[in-house]
This record gives sequence, C-alpha cells and structure tokens, in this order.
Amino acid sequence: MMIELKNLTKVFEVNKNNKTTALKDLNLNIKEGELLVIKGASGSGKSTVLSLIASLSKPTNGEVIVDKKRVSKLPDNFASLYRREHIGFIFQKYNLIPTLSVKENILLPLIPQNPNEIEAQKLLEKVMKKFKIEHKKDNIVKNLSGGEQQRVAIARSQVNDPKIIIADEPTANLDKELSLHFIEILRELKKTKKTIIIATHDPLFFELDFVDRIIELSNGELIR
Amino acid sequence: MKNKINTYLIEYAINSLLRQKYKNIFILIVFTFLTSLLTSIFFISNSIKYELNTTLKSLPQITVQKLKAGRHHSINTQVVDHIINIAGVEDAIPRVWGYYYFENAGVNFSIVGIDEFENQYKDSLNKIIKENDFSKAEENSSMIVGTGVKKILDENYYSEYFNFIRPDGTFKKVDIAGTFKSNLQLESNDIILLPKEIALDIFDMEEDMATDIIVKVSNPEEIFTIASKIKLMYPDTRVITNKELEISYQNIFDYKGGIFLALFIISIFTFFIIIYDKVSGLSSEEKKEIGILKAIGWKVEDVLKEKFYESFIISFIAYTFGVLISFTFVYIFQAPLLRNIFTGYSELKTSFELPFVFDFNTLFLVFFLSVPIYIAATIIPSWKSATIETDKVIR
Repeated sequence: MMIELKNLTKVFEVNKNNKTTALKDLNLNIKEGELLVIKGASGSGKSTVLSLIASLSKPTNGEVIVDKKRVSKLPDNFASLYRREHIGFIFQKYNLIPTLSVKENILLPLIPQNPNEIEAQKLLEKVMKKFKIEHKKDNIVKNLSGGEQQRVAIARSQVNDPKIIIADEPTANLDKELSLHFIEILRELKKTKKTIIIATHDPLFFELDFVDRIIELSNGELIR
Repeated sequence: MKNKINTYLIEYAINSLLRQKYKNIFILIVFTFLTSLLTSIFFISNSIKYELNTTLKSLPQITVQKLKAGRHHSINTQVVDHIINIAGVEDAIPRVWGYYYFENAGVNFSIVGIDEFENQYKDSLNKIIKENDFSKAEENSSMIVGTGVKKILDENYYSEYFNFIRPDGTFKKVDIAGTFKSNLQLESNDIILLPKEIALDIFDMEEDMATDIIVKVSNPEEIFTIASKIKLMYPDTRVITNKELEISYQNIFDYKGGIFLALFIISIFTFFIIIYDKVSGLSSEEKKEIGILKAIGWKVEDVLKEKFYESFIISFIAYTFGVLISFTFVYIFQAPLLRNIFTGYSELKTSFELPFVFDFNTLFLVFFLSVPIYIAATIIPSWKSATIETDKVIR
C-alpha cells in the first residue's frame, strides 16, 4: 500500500501557553512493499509520524493518504476499522494485556469481527507457529521474557494479515541476541511484500541489506 | 464468517471480570445486599399496604363511644333503639369487645363478644362465625380463637381452655372450641371470639351495656350528616366516622413507612457511592487497556459492548440474587428484624404473617434503580476513555 504524507504538522498542546511542535511540514512518500527506517534522536518526531500513519492521532495540519484515501481526518470508528484492516502496529512497550494468555492477546484484533471458531483457531496457530510462540500459548503474558512478549506483540500485529507493518523502537527493550532475532523476523516479513515502517535509533537497522530507505528526523523536520 | 452473537466479546467480558475477581466479588456482594435490602423494604411495605387497605375497607362507617370524665366508657344498649330511628341509618349494632392482657406472654388479645343471631358489624366476622359453627361455642360457653392466639396459648400450656381473670380477681374458665384464620393477618392473630354474655362477664360489664355502637348507613354520602345528628342527640359521646379512623390508621402506617423510607434512602445512598466511585474511578490500567484495544482496531462501540456485557453480568446476577434473597427473607423467614418495625398496630406481639403480594412494578422499580444505573456508571467512564485520542491513552 502506498503512503503519502503531505505537509504534515503536529502540535501538542501541553497547556494553553505551552505548545510543542512534534512535526513540521513533513512531506514523504512510501512505496508499496518498501521497508523504510526512520531514525532520529528521542523527541525528533519518529513516533509521531508512526502514530499519524496508523491514525492513532490526528495531524494539526496536512494529510496522510493511504492508497489514495485520506486517513488523517477519519472519524474515530473509521480510524479503528482502518487500523483493524490495514495496520499491524508493534509498540515499543509491546502494549499487551499482561493478565491475558498469549493466545488471548493474539486473538484480540479478531474479536470485533466475530470469526467462526475454526477459522480463528487456524489464524492463531499460523501466527503462533510463524513467530515461534505456540509452546507458550496458554502462558500469562506478564510471566514471559521480554523477547517472548515481543514475539506475542508481533504475532498479534500479524493475525489480521495487515498490508502495513509499523514498529516503534522494536529493539529498545531487547538485548543484542534478541534484537538480531527480531531482524530475522523482519527479513521474513519483508519477503511478504508488505510495507514496513520502523522508527528506531538502534544502529543495527542502518546497515541491513534488505532495508530500502533510511530517513532521519530532527526536531520534527526531515533532514536526510 | 460472522456469527450473530459475538461470543468472543462475552467471553472477553467474563475473563475481564475474573481478572479482577476479588474486586468484582466485593461489588457483587455489596450490590446483592443493597438490592435485597431495597426489595425487602418494598416487599414488606407492599404486604403491609395490602393488609392496611383490607383493614380500611372493613372499618365501621360510624362508631359511637360513651365518654365519662373524658375517657371511653361502656354505653347503654338502649341508645341503639334511638339511633336506628334516625333517617338513613340502616343498622345499629352494640359491640362488646376489649383488650385482655396476657401477662405470661406479654401480649394483648382482642376479645370480641358475639351474639350469633345479631348482625355482625363486619362481613369477615359473619364469615368466621358461619365457617366455624359458632352455635356450638355458644352452647358450650366456649370460644374460638385466631391462629396467633392459639399458638401463644399452646406455648403457655393452655391448649384446651384458658383462665381469664375478671377485674375483681376471680377466674373465668373458657374452653377453646376452635381456631380460625381470616384473610386479614392483623385481625386473625390476636382475636378471641366468645359469646357476648361471657365477654360481659370477663369485662365485668352490666348486661344492658356495650363497649360501643357501630352504625351502618345506607348512603355513604350521609355518614357525616348522621354522625352530626348522633352527636346532637348524645353530646356525651364521641362519634367517629370511618374517614377519621382511616386517617389515624394511615398516620400509623406513614410513621412506620417513614422508617422504611430512611432505610430506603440509606441503601440508595450507599448504592450511589458505589456508582460515584465507578464513574470517577477508572484506573490507569483500565484506561490503558481501552487504549490498546482501540489501537489494535476495536471501535468505540466494541469497547462499549464489552463493558455493557461486563456490567450487565455483574448487575443482573446481583439483582437476581438480591430478589431471591429478599423473597426468601420476607416471605419464607417472615423478615426477622425488619418486620418488627411494622407489625403490631396496637402494640400486639402476636404472630403475624406477611401475606405474599406479587407486584411486578416493584421488581421493575428495583431493576430500574439498580441494573441500568450500574451499567451506565460502567459505560460512561469507558466511553470517555474510548473517545480520547488513542495515542494519548497508550503513550
């Protein structure tokens, strides 16, 4: 899916007299199947870009266009539907529900669609196998290691088979070994021709042969 | 692909309740207790109201009492002949009745003297006399007693007879010929029916005297006029109309009702504290969970549906348990503690059964006061969280 960001600006209002500009007039085109890495220091606006693409927040100015459809001003329910159908989001802190089991967490995006049990079970088995977490399926998520929790988060983001995968600082909480493992998962995902956007400041991503493009943000502006 | 009912959502709601089981069990217990207290208040109140209405319907239209030194005194039965000649009076019946204090049990019985061949002042007495073959009691100079009286007498080893003590201290032994149970619980439990001459004997009254006179009027619109005429004829009497009696009964009921109202307000107040806590107390974990669900594609309506199931399950279970508990408490166990507030219009301690009165409105009212309010109190804060920009909630 092709993504266009047009004159994207996001201003956060801390209070009436205190406003922070997270993004300034950003223009960016992301091709279908492209793996884009957004680098930049903390507070550079990387997470804000991801949030706007996923329609988790609305821009102050500008537009986000996905497959020629403007998603930046979608009403809340349509934004949820758009995320459900097109976006697989891997959060920095995984954002799992800690008291649910692995399989319950992975199934969460399917619940509103009310799938039949056999179909849901098939999808569940498929992603759990793909991300090597099926042996922990009945474990409560809060009892898993960081690497395992991330695999659950990735499996959850893939259970709906989305066309766009967004990852926010995916290796920030992982040691080097687990980070390398994530990169192997990423390589596999790249083969599926999905559009992948990663926001990171981990240098591991800057030398990867399968990354199509690396851009850099600083103070909300594209500098490279 | 789609089923009609989203069982996943219901399953998620149940799991969500179980994840905070101690908190939810506590809410369930408090909610059930309040619902049962509220329902019990309504059940008891309905039963008493039913009794009261039945009593009011059977009240005499006019009661004439002789006053002496400002106090109620026996009245000469010759007065009956004069009253009956007043135009519009259908009947005038002298009554011999009074209270008898039974010290052993610490209760008052109502003694009513009956002349089988006279018209009784109310239909329920006529019915009791007919059904219990009072002529036998009259022949044997014995009495028939209400079930409550019988129970107390049995408990005090008077299962076949009772020794009344006359005002001069001598005994009057009267055999028990039978027991009766009228539709009116308040009436049946403390009444002793015996031949009029025995009643006169027990109360040490002259043969031509009566406790009071009941007047029946053909046209209810004329009650007040006839009462005024009697008062003119006999200035030394107190003439009480059924309207005045109704007011005094109603006052007693309203006073007791006030105590129940206080209980009602307390339970409602406690319930609203829970509701207030719920509305203002969505934890950061709960808010974050809603944010996560939104981020992975749940719509606001999906979140609200799940919250609806959660709150419906807990409130409906509490409501059902509450109603069942209060039903058992009021109608099977006869509302211990609570019923004492209401029983005994004349400070009687005789046993009193709350009659079963099914009132759909009561069940609906309690349901309306509990389930939808709890559901709303759960859904409103969830809706507030669900409509905040998702990014803000999960960051």
